[in-house]
Amino acid sequence: MRVSIEWLKQYLKIEQTPEELAEILTRGGIEVGGVEYLNKGIKNVIIGEIKTINAHPNAQKLQVCTVDIGSEELTIVTGADNILVGDKVPVAVPGAELPGGKIIETADLRGVESQGMLCSEKELELEFVGLDRSKGGILILYPDAEVGTPLVDYLGLDNYVLELELYPNRPDCMSMVNVARELGTLLGKKPNFAEWLQTDEPIWPTDVKQKINIENPELSWRYSALLVEDVVIGPSPRWMRNRLRAAGIRPINNVVDITNYCMLETGQPLHAFDRDKLKGTVRVRLAQEGEKLVTLDGVERQLDNSMLVIADDSGPIALAGVMGGLDTEVTASTKRILFESAHFAGASIRRTSRKLGLRSESSSRFEKGVDPHGTVTTLVRVAELLLELEAGVPMSFVEHKVYLPPQTVIEFSRERVNAVLGVDYSKQEVERVLESLNFDYEHRPDGKYIVHIPSYRQDLKIEEDMIEEIARINGYDRIPTTLPQGVQTQGRRTPEQELRRKIRHTLVKAGMNEIVTYSFVKKENDDLWGLRGMNIPILNPLREELGVMRTSLIPGLLETAARNAARRNLDLLLFEMGSVYWQHELPLKNLPQEKTLIAGLAQGQSPRHWLVPQIKFDFYFVKGILNQLELACGLEFTYTPLKNDRYQGLLHPGRSAEIHVAGEYLGFIGEIFPQLDAKLGLERPVLFELDFDVLYKNCKTTLVAKSYPRFPAIQRDLALVVAQNVASEAIKNRILELGGDLLQEVEIFDVYQGRPIPEGHKSLAFSLRYQSPERTLTDEEVNNLNSNILASIQEEFGAEWRK
Amino acid sequence: MFKNRERVIRLKAELEKIKKETLHKLEQLTTMEELQDLKVKVMGKKGSLTALLKQMGTLSPEERPKMGQIINELRGKLEQAWEEKAKQLEQIALAARLEGEKIDISLPGCWLPKGHQHPLSKVIEEIEDIFLGMGFTIAEGPEIETDYYNFEALNLPKDHPARDMQDSFFITEDILLRTQTSPVQVRTMEKMKPQLPVKIIAPGKVFRHDDDATHSPMFHQVEGLLVDKGIRMSDLKGILLYFSRQMFGESREIRLRPSFFPFTEPSAEVDVSCMLCGGDGCRLCKYTGWIEILGSGMVHPRVLEMGGYNPKEVTGFAFGMGVERIAMLKYGIEDMRLLFDNDIRFLKQF
Ligand SMILES: [Zn+2]
Repeated sequence: MRVSIEWLKQYLKIEQTPEELAEILTRGGIEVGGVEYLNKGIKNVIIGEIKTINAHPNAQKLQVCTVDIGSEELTIVTGADNILVGDKVPVAVPGAELPGGKIIETADLRGVESQGMLCSEKELELEFVGLDRSKGGILILYPDAEVGTPLVDYLGLDNYVLELELYPNRPDCMSMVNVARELGTLLGKKPNFAEWLQTDEPIWPTDVKQKINIENPELSWRYSALLVEDVVIGPSPRWMRNRLRAAGIRPINNVVDITNYCMLETGQPLHAFDRDKLKGTVRVRLAQEGEKLVTLDGVERQLDNSMLVIADDSGPIALAGVMGGLDTEVTASTKRILFESAHFAGASIRRTSRKLGLRSESSSRFEKGVDPHGTVTTLVRVAELLLELEAGVPMSFVEHKVYLPPQTVIEFSRERVNAVLGVDYSKQEVERVLESLNFDYEHRPDGKYIVHIPSYRQDLKIEEDMIEEIARINGYDRIPTTLPQGVQTQGRRTPEQELRRKIRHTLVKAGMNEIVTYSFVKKENDDLWGLRGMNIPILNPLREELGVMRTSLIPGLLETAARNAARRNLDLLLFEMGSVYWQHELPLKNLPQEKTLIAGLAQGQSPRHWLVPQIKFDFYFVKGILNQLELACGLEFTYTPLKNDRYQGLLHPGRSAEIHVAGEYLGFIGEIFPQLDAKLGLERPVLFELDFDVLYKNCKTTLVAKSYPRFPAIQRDLALVVAQNVASEAIKNRILELGGDLLQEVEIFDVYQGRPIPEGHKSLAFSLRYQSPERTLTDEEVNNLNSNILASIQEEFGAEWRK
Repeated sequence: MFKNRERVIRLKAELEKIKKETLHKLEQLTTMEELQDLKVKVMGKKGSLTALLKQMGTLSPEERPKMGQIINELRGKLEQAWEEKAKQLEQIALAARLEGEKIDISLPGCWLPKGHQHPLSKVIEEIEDIFLGMGFTIAEGPEIETDYYNFEALNLPKDHPARDMQDSFFITEDILLRTQTSPVQVRTMEKMKPQLPVKIIAPGKVFRHDDDATHSPMFHQVEGLLVDKGIRMSDLKGILLYFSRQMFGESREIRLRPSFFPFTEPSAEVDVSCMLCGGDGCRLCKYTGWIEILGSGMVHPRVLEMGGYNPKEVTGFAFGMGVERIAMLKYGIEDMRLLFDNDIRFLKQF
């Protein structure tokens, strides 16, 4: 809503600057998004009348005009060709300034001295000012422009507009009268309104011929119509045009301008039908499937049975509350008019407007709610203006009134106001607010206030609404700061939340960088890595690439890695912890399962360093990171070759594994399948994805410290050559088994392939640590044990001992 | 007698010579080995001084003790000189070692992996910690939500114009991606009723059909809710003032502005005094001195009812803040899209 200060001053004496008003309104709950000064920098532009137009002696495209500006006649050269002798035009006289700071001086234009310049709307940064002929050329003013008057005065540009950004609860402030009421309340001043505003009864005889019928009373409670004869269509007066323009509405003609002006004034949208084009009864009804209507903008609209229309005996003539129809439009030849002032249900108007993608000043008011009590009052104002503008003679009135909501009465007590706000307002402070709001109230002997809410404040319904009124009008600054008085509680994370945090911190400490990606992804990508065909589609995705809810975090990681790689960020350690969404049926009937997954991606290597050799971010690096997770969760993961074929063609079969914990499937780790990486601009990224719930379920939250033996340990190394496909872990586990209680620890400390180890074989070196909790071991018993182990391993694994 | 005297004189002369020579050599030598050699040469079994001592037997009994004393004095003197020299040599050797072992301390230290937490999760944790410290617990709710919890239970019936404030992503007519973390309010109340207090924050992802420089289709909010007997709007102000000072610095002030949310009444927008200019006015605060950080209010009685509490007996406050906005203010990030771009160079700053 654009609020002209000049207009406001009609109702209220205002001493504040526009900026101060904006602050007062904003602090009072009516947010002002901006303050606009209407003059964008026009200085010394005078209205002139074209007296003569002659061809330029030296230039084909130029004309030389003489222009009367009251005090003198100027010779001005112009390139425009839309002007006629007698036109009123804006003249930038020598020394004038235009928006953007351009200064106009006398200039020689191809041999003719031009004493200034004729301006276009664009050069003046103006809109909706001139006659239609102004398009693309010099601005041609209405004939009522007075020669010699500064343009700024004529157009009322020395004025400010407040741009209100209204919350949906205050549709009443889409009206000048109610903004004045609101501002009056906040300033502690009573606005001055004309008499018509107090009239809500029709002052005209009932029309006997025109019938009106509301057929869907749930969608329209009241339809009032004023019938006007002897209509003379013409331009509206300057003051009205200026106010409409300040509000951002294009002046059209006196009748249309009156409907718009009254809507701005009271908030009640109006529509004018050419009565001679109406056929029979005016009905408010839902459209029938297949009906059509050409709206005022010339577009043919397909209607359906959810759209409320105004119809006559011939069919729909207007989209109720949204836009009129072209057939019944008021034109220059219109003689009789039916002015509609009606109530339509906001939800219905909202639906129609959305369905057709058609919004108007009218629909935006109806959507949010228009006071059904105000239809006649607005028609009274219409009648007054018609007579004032000599645009027509109001003759009769007709109305179908189905329902008017009763007046809201709110009961509240000062004690409750104080208790809810934490303040201590006196009786006077509470009553001062009620009086500044201009609400009728009683103070009952039991201390309760009974407030009668005027119909234009539809947002006030319950006691809490009154508490807010009192709080905001006294100012939120008057509410002190306190702390809650109740029992003290202890805040702590649940074990689950704690574990999530621990996992995040563990991965970060291990060198991984956390990323956050969208929960919706491209279906094809999610199908690859997630639960094929199980991803939930979004009905109205932003883009097709964001079409389904993810079932895996891998697509987001790969996309992030690819984007980084494209920017030459090639060494990547990324992880994400977040929700994926698994459904059990489509279309969804119940909420889907939301699971937390932890996924990561590693590629490249550690930075080149003078001391530390570069470490490859490969399978083993990632496995090392996962080991940190194992330690953090008190768990042991087991790695086995991928069994199910879910990752066939996605992961390198020789460089991937299933991870289990306590026999339960936890997730996978693996290098991406050859060639898939190149398509993304990546190089051998290693991925993992783990199920948080499985980690949480098995995670050991308690820790019991073990004691360590006091007796010395004896260490033996064992180097073996085995076939390449023998899993080192299998040998390690077998050694541990064979070593029994005395063998405390086995570590693989060297892996080697290549000469002199025969092809297809590898050398593994184990370090064995023997120790007894009870005594000091002898070299002899350790040697015996060690050679028994060696013998068994040689036999069982076909291993050869490497001395 | 004469012979004896002559011997004494000769001995003394020799002593003097040994002393002079030894001290001179001592001065010259530069290594411990040389020092040891010299010591052996003078005081060793075959040393020059030892040899002199052997000649003592040729002296008269009267001369012997005198001479013995002279030799001992010399011996003492030399021992002391040796010791001093040894110390001196040690010092030199140590200094040489230190000099030789000098490293280039300007070289970078050993490489160790260093990861970074995403600024959004970092800010969420920080917010969580502040409220945990005030006795709030952390509640969670689904990101795919029913129309009922996302709108209706928050006093936003179908076709309510306020639904226009939030364009939703729909899964079905009745299931959508939650547009706010507020549904967790009602879910938590339903779970906890009739226990008091209900004192939670609910961080999480939310989704709106928007995508430009200042809006992301997915973003994060932290919701707060405190329901108890006798909760006042002044308590809301107190809690939020404490939060703002923890988050943005001790000298921050807050102010409340009337606002509208369907699920709170009265409602308030909360501004914090600008962390960049301290309230004097700058580009960040658009020269107002204030920065809007969150929406809040007293829980609407309808919402309390739908959560299973009697609005005649309890009151409550609720608030909701945008994590992206707070992260942007806190870290001076100007473009929200950076937060979801995940460029490693950006992430490594946190
Ligand atoms: Zn500032």
